[in-house]
Amino acid sequence: MRIVACIKAAPDDADITVGPDRSLDFTRAQPRIGAYDLNAIEAARQLADQVGAEVVGISVGAAEWDNTKLRKDALSRGLDSLVIVSGEPDADSFQTASLLAAAITELGECDLVLLGAGSSDRYAQQVGNQLGALLGRPTLNQVNAISLTDSGVRVERLLEDAEQVIDADLPTVISLTAGANVPRIAGMKDILAAGKKPVTQVSGQPVAATARLVSVLAPEQVDRRRQVVEGDPADTAAALAAFLKSL
Amino acid sequence: MTEVWIIAHDATGGNALACAARALGDRVVAISLGAGVLPGADLSLTVQVSPEVPVEAYACAVADLLSARGAQLVLTDATTTGRLLAGQVAARLGVSPLTASGVVRGNSLQVTRLVYGGLAVATDEVISPVCVLVVAPGALTAEESVRAGQSEAVSLTPAGGLRLVETRAKGGTSVDLTGAKRVVGVGRGFAAEADLELARALAVKLGAEVACSRPIAEGVNWMPAERYLGVSGATIKPELYLAIGISGQVQHLVGVNHSKVIVAINSDKNAPIFAHADFGVVGDLYQVLPELTKSL
Ligand SMILES: Cc1cc2nc3c(=O)[nH]c(=O)nc-3n(C[C@H](O)[C@H](O)[C@H](O)COP(=O)(O)OP(=O)(O)OC[C@H]3O[C@@H](n4cnc5c(N)ncnc54)[C@H](O)[C@@H]3O)c2cc1C
Ligand SMILES: Nc1ncnc2c1ncn2[C@@H]1O[C@H](COP(=O)(O)O)[C@@H](O)[C@H]1O
Repeated sequence: MRIVACIKAAPDDADITVGPDRSLDFTRAQPRIGAYDLNAIEAARQLADQVGAEVVGISVGAAEWDNTKLRKDALSRGLDSLVIVSGEPDADSFQTASLLAAAITELGECDLVLLGAGSSDRYAQQVGNQLGALLGRPTLNQVNAISLTDSGVRVERLLEDAEQVIDADLPTVISLTAGANVPRIAGMKDILAAGKKPVTQVSGQPVAATARLVSVLAPEQVDRRRQVVEGDPADTAAALAAFLKSL
Repeated sequence: MTEVWIIAHDATGGNALACAARALGDRVVAISLGAGVLPGADLSLTVQVSPEVPVEAYACAVADLLSARGAQLVLTDATTTGRLLAGQVAARLGVSPLTASGVVRGNSLQVTRLVYGGLAVATDEVISPVCVLVVAPGALTAEESVRAGQSEAVSLTPAGGLRLVETRAKGGTSVDLTGAKRVVGVGRGFAAEADLELARALAVKLGAEVACSRPIAEGVNWMPAERYLGVSGATIKPELYLAIGISGQVQHLVGVNHSKVIVAINSDKNAPIFAHADFGVVGDLYQVLPELTKSL
């Protein structure tokens, strides 16, 4: 059995700065695997360990994957190997899903494809939905729990006002929620082992974009008073109470 | 005449979407998946759906119906179901769905979306012949409208491979945080679920709703998902937002930074939230909250 985990590396938003003209500056931002993609790796590893399956990570990306620290980070968290599909990290959901679909078809037998809740830069929550349709497989999003059954998987899926229990036949494509599991923190041994795991680079046929990017701008900042009090809890609480009553 | 199509999967949300869709065209046609005839639409194509499969199993058939009828602009809501329908339909139509936090219709259709966790807003101009929009709450100004409500029954076949075993309604009362005048937000600074009582007691004194950061709702599950604020949660504009034990990451702030006044309580004086607050208390919430509730 083979499980695929789709992951994306994007600039760490904690280190993206906003210029006076509201443009974004990425110079200090290192590429990092999206926080929610770690749920996909974790779920893949846990399920694979139950049945002795293999976990392949796939990422559509470009130069950011030359970063060995990033590769090791991905491989130390539970992937057995990594496939990098050259493509634009800024591509839209359909472009990314098309490249992933081609790479997965190329890989051959894949029983389960797992994705995160959303990428850390675009957070469209759409790549998995589109990938499943392109592969023509049963597809679900917002899956909070997943277990293997005799013939497929049984999942719990979160809707706004209800929870569904759904059985899906394999092969299937599933996007998880952020609460689906707690991703492991890699130990020293995992990080050392990661250096020896295979990484393959493939290329694909890009498809046309749906939209043209006009601009990316930070919103206007709201000016705040930024009055801060510190010290004895009774005093600070009294100061805050006075402030609240003055509103 | 511009025709706008919507895919509806529940009666209330579907009708709201039909009304919102009117902002983008003068004729609204709905594909109603088990949601009946929508009074807000000019025409509803009603589909009987099987209770044995999730409604999203109809996505492929819906896409083919849209193609056959020459639909060019298709809208869904931003719910879990709306998003999956949009993604699958769009894939079948060969395009990317666009998530719209705002829409501008001029000579071309321009759509805004939040990127980098709300750090910035990206504006896209649609260049494909077909456009599938996932409409975020508030992206379009809805116009209450009741139409002739024509309908036509269509029969669609769901794709195989998915079986709905059970649907459990979520307990608890649903809340509309967007209407609240005062909101108290709780974050990971709370060490245990029971400690949220400290915030609830304060909220009662202030006449405020209680909301939270995402990890409190999706992570430890101490609060329902509809109560978390931020880029992927609710956006509020209250008169007062009081953030307790919340660090102030941009993904959270984007949901609250239109509040008139922001107050923060955090034990770390370097917490980013203080740069976005009108009034900040550096201190342990376990010591400050009981004192504060007492003095109000
Ligand atoms: C794509 C994406 C989307 C996201 N969407 C959202 C979203 O919509 N909403 C959202 O909220 N988050 C979202 N997040 C998560 C976000 O990045 C932060 O992780 C989250 O907001 C942090 O929550 P927190 O402030 O409660 O926890 P933390 O960041 O852990 O902060 C806890 C704070 O509590 C303080 N504290 C600890 N103990 C005490 C004490 N005794 N008294 C007082 N203070 C104390 C600490 O100093 C700290 O500042 C998203 C993340 C990503 C990647
Ligand atoms: N470039 C990419 N390469 C591989 N997987 C991706 C890529 N972009 C997104 N994904 C996966 O799709 C999920 C949803 O992404 P998005 O639709 O961009 O929010 C992410 O959590 C990843 O699991």
